[in-house]
Amino acid sequence: MNKKVKKLVIEIVAVILVLAIFGIPFYYIVINSFKTRAGAAQMSLGFPEEFAAVENYETAITTQNYMVATGFLNSVIITLGTVVLLILVCSMGGFILQRRRSKLTTFANFLSLVGLMIPPAIVPTIRVLQTIGVFKSLFGMVLVAAALQIPFTLMLYRAFMSTIPKEIDEAALIDGCGRLRHFFMIIFPLLKPVTATVTVLAAVNVFNDFVNPLYFLPGAKNVTVQLTMYNFYGKFASSWNLLMANVVLISLPPLLLFIFFSKRIVSGMVSGAIKG
Amino acid sequence: MSKKRSILALILALILTLSFGFTLTGCGDDSGSKTSDPPANTDTPPTDAPPTDAPPTDDPPPSEDVPKSDVTLTYIIDRDTDQAGSKAVMERFTEITGIKFEEELRPGGAEGETLLKTRFATGDAPDFIWFNSGSLLATLDPVRNLVDLSSQSYMSKLQESYKQTVSMDGKVFGIPGRTSMGGGWLYNKKLHDDLGLTVPTSWSALIDNCQKAKDAGKTAVIGSYSDSWTAQLIPLADYANLAAVAPNFAADFDAERATYAGTPAAVRSFEKLAEINEKGFMNADYLATTYDLALEMLVKGDGLYYPMLTFALDGIVGNWPDEIDNIGLFAQPADDAANTALTVWMPDGWYACQGSDHFDEVNRFFEFYLSEEAQGILANKSSGNGPSVVAGAPSSPNVYQAVKEMQPYFDAGKTAPAIEFITSVKGPNLPQICVEVGSGMTTPAKGAANYDQDVEKERLQQE
Repeated sequence: MNKKVKKLVIEIVAVILVLAIFGIPFYYIVINSFKTRAGAAQMSLGFPEEFAAVENYETAITTQNYMVATGFLNSVIITLGTVVLLILVCSMGGFILQRRRSKLTTFANFLSLVGLMIPPAIVPTIRVLQTIGVFKSLFGMVLVAAALQIPFTLMLYRAFMSTIPKEIDEAALIDGCGRLRHFFMIIFPLLKPVTATVTVLAAVNVFNDFVNPLYFLPGAKNVTVQLTMYNFYGKFASSWNLLMANVVLISLPPLLLFIFFSKRIVSGMVSGAIKG
Repeated sequence: MSKKRSILALILALILTLSFGFTLTGCGDDSGSKTSDPPANTDTPPTDAPPTDAPPTDDPPPSEDVPKSDVTLTYIIDRDTDQAGSKAVMERFTEITGIKFEEELRPGGAEGETLLKTRFATGDAPDFIWFNSGSLLATLDPVRNLVDLSSQSYMSKLQESYKQTVSMDGKVFGIPGRTSMGGGWLYNKKLHDDLGLTVPTSWSALIDNCQKAKDAGKTAVIGSYSDSWTAQLIPLADYANLAAVAPNFAADFDAERATYAGTPAAVRSFEKLAEINEKGFMNADYLATTYDLALEMLVKGDGLYYPMLTFALDGIVGNWPDEIDNIGLFAQPADDAANTALTVWMPDGWYACQGSDHFDEVNRFFEFYLSEEAQGILANKSSGNGPSVVAGAPSSPNVYQAVKEMQPYFDAGKTAPAIEFITSVKGPNLPQICVEVGSGMTTPAKGAANYDQDVEKERLQQE
């Protein structure tokens, strides 16, 4: 009985904490997106005196020729492209780097670790993009975003690969499985849990990235969702109500996605934990 | 097996060296062509092969009988200022000439500067930009990156005092995008009258007023140090008073012959900041109050004075349109009432970038921007935060009350541009130094010395 009460108290405290940490900021954003400009300028948690929700969202969506919609399209393309590229490249890379031990792979391992440590330099990167003719294109942005994520993702895949027994490879080869088939039919499905993790991490990272698109993807047609926030925010005159409406708009899709997919993602992670 | 692998390794190595060599030569090629010919592909979609087809967009210079042009000009701007006026001017310009505009947003502050510098460094500058005038302009290295406009006919329309702030090495780089603005003390007129106060013209009168407001249980001076840039206003707005006492200070300071700490009249600017705090005139939570909250306090009559630039009026009219006539302005008083003068901030403006294929069109736009028609549109769209620096520009039909109260200073010739428009450097840490002095963490003399050091470092960086 006593134990049960204790557990209950801890649970309640935990729930309240979670609500306070995640709930209040989100409530703050939503409630302020309903206020008028003057109301939102007060920066309070209070209930709006005057509702202007419809107008706010309408303005937020239509500003600058539906910039938010363009931003969405671009962000989704970049995110999808990056995630697919990452999974393809890093799963294969992780497989080889973990399975083979040679001087070349040690060097490649070292290189990928270097990528984790050394920050990207902007001007040289832009020069490279210009040289190969993909600067200011979504494809170029995908390349940059993927390149920035590769070291970390590679590490995840490599670590996970070591939990998959070598005997599986041997069994497959003995049964006459070709190399491509070996990887795509046998190894890749086994990597599903870590692939799920990578998908979530990379998608959130790339979708929420602000600085890289700012530098590597300039141009009015190339806005991403995070850059649309600049429509409403300035040092001296900010429309907080519109900004908040914009924030709600651009954080809803990832949120919904997560709510629908969270079961899958979590179950994927757990199943992986047991199998390993 | 091992043979296969070694062949594979060989092929890989070959590909690597080849591609590396290719990128290197490609790079050299690119920079070589840049000197002879401006980069052609700045606004064609980069999926096409880059060079070779430059001509298509390169129409012959627009002649009078073919006014419509299908050029699109790109520009980069921040969101720090209200652009309703210039947007309207652009629309009108598109109507007349067919030249369209494409806007790109950048962050404000230091990050925005970095972004612009990056764009210049990678040869990817837009056709023109919006940027500050004064010492901040030097950070963009205008001689290398911006187009000299000094030979253009419209330059004669601009006031000499403005032109100085956008000049370097005898070249003029910018045109004003809006009106100038004043830096002084905004005050709530109704509260001022209720307390039976008169507009102070000397520092001691101001202190008396503050004391009365404090005795009446009101916040005399609103402090909003949570946004540290707002803390600079008292020392910066004091410059016109300082110039009245020490007219050569700015020139000497720029030539490194004078320092803030070594000039008593300059230290006085910091002393005024400290005095407000020592006497307890500010709101209790001035360290946590933000700019937005401070404006609300002023409008609602919770606070009497707010040292600020007049662009705050745009923020006030946006949030509380009915209260705008209740806000007045006076110049920061000098110790001697005869010396009190208003410090003026020169407007941000437009600058043409080097490397643009469309300088002719940009130039046409600039010329139109300064024309009477465009200045009229500007005045109608935005009320302006002060007098215009363009000769013959019409004034707005609905000028703010506070701006009207600035006019007497101009009529009497009692104005001076802020020091950052005269000297070539401004210490980047002035906001933090002002917070320290204004909250009593350091003495005014120490603060002045710190600022001197800050400027010294900035000078070294710019060399």
